[in-house]
Amino acid sequence: MADLSVNLGGLRMKNPVTVASGTFGYGQEYDEYFDIARLGAVTVKSLTLQPRAGNRPPRLAETPAGLLNAIGLQNVGIEAYLRDKLPFLRKKGCTIIANIYGYAPEDYAELARRLEAEQGADAIEVNLSCPNVHDARTVGGCKLVAQQPEAVLKYTRVIRAATRLPLFIKLSPNVADIVEPCLAAQEGGADGLSLINTLLGMEIDVRTRRPVLSNLVGGLSGPAIRPVALKMVWDAARAVKIPIIGMGGICDTRDAVAFLLAGASAVAVGSASFRRPDTAIRVIDGLTQYLEEHGFSRVTDLVGALRTE
Amino acid sequence: MPFVQDCEVLAHQEVAADHFRISLSAPKIAAAARPGMFCMIEVGAGYYPFLRRPFSIERIYPDGVSFLYKVEGVGTRLLSRVRPGDDLNLQGPLGRPFPVPSGKRRYILVAGGIGVAPFPALAEAVIAAGGTPEILLAARTERLLVGIREFTRMGCRVTVATDDGSAGFKGTAADLLGSILEPSEDVLVYACGPMPMMRAVHEKCLAAGVVCWASLEAHMACGDGVCMGCVVPANRETEAERMVRVCREGPVFDTREINWTACP
Repeated sequence: MADLSVNLGGLRMKNPVTVASGTFGYGQEYDEYFDIARLGAVTVKSLTLQPRAGNRPPRLAETPAGLLNAIGLQNVGIEAYLRDKLPFLRKKGCTIIANIYGYAPEDYAELARRLEAEQGADAIEVNLSCPNVHDARTVGGCKLVAQQPEAVLKYTRVIRAATRLPLFIKLSPNVADIVEPCLAAQEGGADGLSLINTLLGMEIDVRTRRPVLSNLVGGLSGPAIRPVALKMVWDAARAVKIPIIGMGGICDTRDAVAFLLAGASAVAVGSASFRRPDTAIRVIDGLTQYLEEHGFSRVTDLVGALRTE
Repeated sequence: MPFVQDCEVLAHQEVAADHFRISLSAPKIAAAARPGMFCMIEVGAGYYPFLRRPFSIERIYPDGVSFLYKVEGVGTRLLSRVRPGDDLNLQGPLGRPFPVPSGKRRYILVAGGIGVAPFPALAEAVIAAGGTPEILLAARTERLLVGIREFTRMGCRVTVATDDGSAGFKGTAADLLGSILEPSEDVLVYACGPMPMMRAVHEKCLAAGVVCWASLEAHMACGDGVCMGCVVPANRETEAERMVRVCREGPVFDTREINWTACP
């Protein structure tokens, strides 16, 4: 049996497959379909200091091979997470990556401190790239921290100083050069990167002549963005030393292997879980089979093993 | 407990222009299903559409379930081409069912257009609880009224309304309800249809002091409480806005729970 275990900057996972934040809730719903403890890690929906109601509906627009969303980080808040959601994940024995979102570096630092102090996570993923909490009506309204390398550096340093937990910075594909924010996060002390968040997009109902989403614009996910994500992971992996969790449209084992070959040390299944809740489990099983068929004894041997000669 | 499984299509017919009934073999889903619950159906093998489509369960049989649907977009168009003998992947049953307390004097089911979809199963449950369902069936025009024969055969009392007056009462389902509704704690109303219709039914019921359960429709990505995509604004005790998930807290709501003025 091939060895699927990985160590991402101090985060030990029994296999390199997690789920993308926001596509798996806090785990409980999908545990009705399969044992979620089989995942390398469960990445939970973004947590904020206070609960958030999120954006008004409509929040979804389906597009070819993809999905635009503008949820707006509806979440229960850190308090209710620690009280109501965490005990289930701990009882299951899950490895937990807690995704956090704040309005200032201090918010993130506070969330990270609380998560570490109350054993609320085994690693932290910092969402510097949510496209849905900004007012798109204003010019420059969608400016994300992840689009400003100097801000990425500053945020990462502040959060780094607040926690010893493995720290992953989740970045946005909505940039000219993905390498710059990646290097900034590395310099700021991140243990790893999560690439990529959704691509900014828009859909218009020509019958009503209005945007489909109440927030006007949203984040595109699904197989439509997979080649974009793959290229960004490949670019980033050659530029940084820290490990990358690759994500963006992964639907099956073939997709997951491609991200590993491009240089990701682990992968996350996102929107595909909406269609088939057990997609991540199928990917885990498929990876074992791929490694055996291709004569690899460890999944880490696949990481960055792309042949370009 | 929901299931995800391939189910064989047993029958599939067009019952009115662009309205279809599809029956599938699904014993496990049928055993867990209750009136008002829904399934997410994978309508095609490819990536467009990428997402499943939610459909209310029309009827629950010992060995399977059926759905009534209207062709609206790319997903339902694909679904309409499925043939008996084909397999469809179903996820369900999902959501909260209609409560069906026994001992009410009147059970009034108000359907607008394809909103009739969950009512055959509900009518059966009302009959099992000792009631006689009164079906108010409304559509734009006579040829889009679906299920009159089936409801009558079951033993329901059926009254129809059409926007154009081509059959029955000329006007909306809410107008028709208003003409027959009396203030009483002994009456229960169920509603399913377009949002403006359900809101109007809610207002009639509120004015009469009658409890109304409505099955809401929403675009969904997961159908299972994970993505937070299908929410509607709920009434709130505090200042903070509160959203409820149609898929998980619903699709059936006491209409007093919903903040109708904030709904899109």
